[in-house]
Amino acid sequence: MSLKLMADIFINNWPMFMRGAGMTLLISMIGTIIGLVIGILVGIIRTIPVPEKGAKRTLLVIVNKLLSIYVEFFRGTPMIVQSMVIFYGTAQAFGIQMNRIMAGILIVSINTGAYMSEIVRGGIVSIDHGQFEASDAIGMNHMQTMINVVMPQVVRNILPATGNEFVINVKDTSVLNIISVTELFFQTKSIAGATFKFFEPYFIASIIYLIMTITITRVLRCIERRMDGPASFIMAGNQMQVERPEDIVYKKNKDR
Amino acid sequence: MEKVIDVQHLRKSFGNNEVLKDIDFSVSKGEVVCIIGSSGSGKSTLLRCINLLETPTSGEIIYNGKNILDDKHNIYSYRTKLGMVFQQFNLFNNHNVLSNCTVGQIKVLKREKEEAEEIALKYLENVGMAQYINAMPRQLSGGQKQRVAIARALSMEPDVMLFDEPTSALDPETVGEVLKVMKDLAKSGLTMLVVTHEMGFAREVSDRVIFMDKGVIAEEGKPEEIFNNPKEKRTKEFLHRILSNN
Repeated sequence: MSLKLMADIFINNWPMFMRGAGMTLLISMIGTIIGLVIGILVGIIRTIPVPEKGAKRTLLVIVNKLLSIYVEFFRGTPMIVQSMVIFYGTAQAFGIQMNRIMAGILIVSINTGAYMSEIVRGGIVSIDHGQFEASDAIGMNHMQTMINVVMPQVVRNILPATGNEFVINVKDTSVLNIISVTELFFQTKSIAGATFKFFEPYFIASIIYLIMTITITRVLRCIERRMDGPASFIMAGNQMQVERPEDIVYKKNKDR
Repeated sequence: MEKVIDVQHLRKSFGNNEVLKDIDFSVSKGEVVCIIGSSGSGKSTLLRCINLLETPTSGEIIYNGKNILDDKHNIYSYRTKLGMVFQQFNLFNNHNVLSNCTVGQIKVLKREKEEAEEIALKYLENVGMAQYINAMPRQLSGGQKQRVAIARALSMEPDVMLFDEPTSALDPETVGEVLKVMKDLAKSGLTMLVVTHEMGFAREVSDRVIFMDKGVIAEEGKPEEIFNNPKEKRTKEFLHRILSNN
């Protein structure tokens, strides 16, 4: 092992490393976003107040049961097994041919969705009850309350946990090499196989993983800070920010 | 006088604990009614039953001649007719001051954004918070938050305003600014139902005072009668306790 060898392997194979890293980022990013959306939807449905009787109650109870089965199943089984079942299993049993990358995104998404729905549920529970009461008192229904009041606050609060999921996904997409998705681990394996070197390619891959995860954490931290804004309101601190009532009236008249 | 809200035989239990026992009372148009009483007497629960934040166990709530506890009645549109001000303000944390006052108008009443902002600004000016339209709730003091909460409720242009101990979470200095806003509202002829511990406010502003004790209305009447010549023993005791503390 020498630094020169490591440098040589990187210089000779960097397009493969980069393509692998790109694929890893693509799958984990899309997977996390779709997972977040699934989580939010499941969270909203699971917190619909169940009426005491009627057909709506039966429907809600059934839907809630199905959702908990979904969450339990995908949280309770390894992603590597799910990949085999979803990609090769369905191909053999039902003849469904899937694009490898699409299958990868699907697996990561529904997996993340299962975790995120629990995170979102926790986020909804943590919102002050007064926010729900104020929305009720103003005449909002469950959907309006969720969209306009609760979810924006939940998304802010679960951002750290979402970042966590993103980081986990960047690392866990490596199991998709089992269905030959050309992500970073799969590419590294090919390079190692071609050069008969194991330490150097995998060491380079680990550095690339580290760079990706650290960058993601930093970027999310920035977004969080930006969403929070300043802690105090300075009325005349920056004249560009201050909009007096007169200004609004003026702007409106100008538009007419 | 025309009754806006008429509560008949209202009962509410939490498990085996009966908090409201057969309450009958009504609020007429333009009337300011204060509900007083010690903690746990059921006054907040009564107020929360009126806009269905708590579901009454039995009884009727008649609003403009219709029983709103009927299954068919649309509770969402009914709630827009009642403005509610909470002890803990409950401003929407993710909206700034202006949008706190417009979100209900736009999403629930389906008003245009410009119209909603115009209405919101009018009421924010009334409560003296018009300079703060871009501030977020967490950047405001308690008194400021409560004034915005009042403007938010008023922006829906309700028939009745419900106040649930609006000054109880405020420090003594800021209580005054909120009470002043409420006094102005009362003078403007708004129908108001106020649960309060501010005896000075109840005496000065209200048309009628209701004294509640252990889930029943123990006594009701004009403020002069209640405060100067209470008939019931428990009213006397309550007033004595409250007034000797101040």
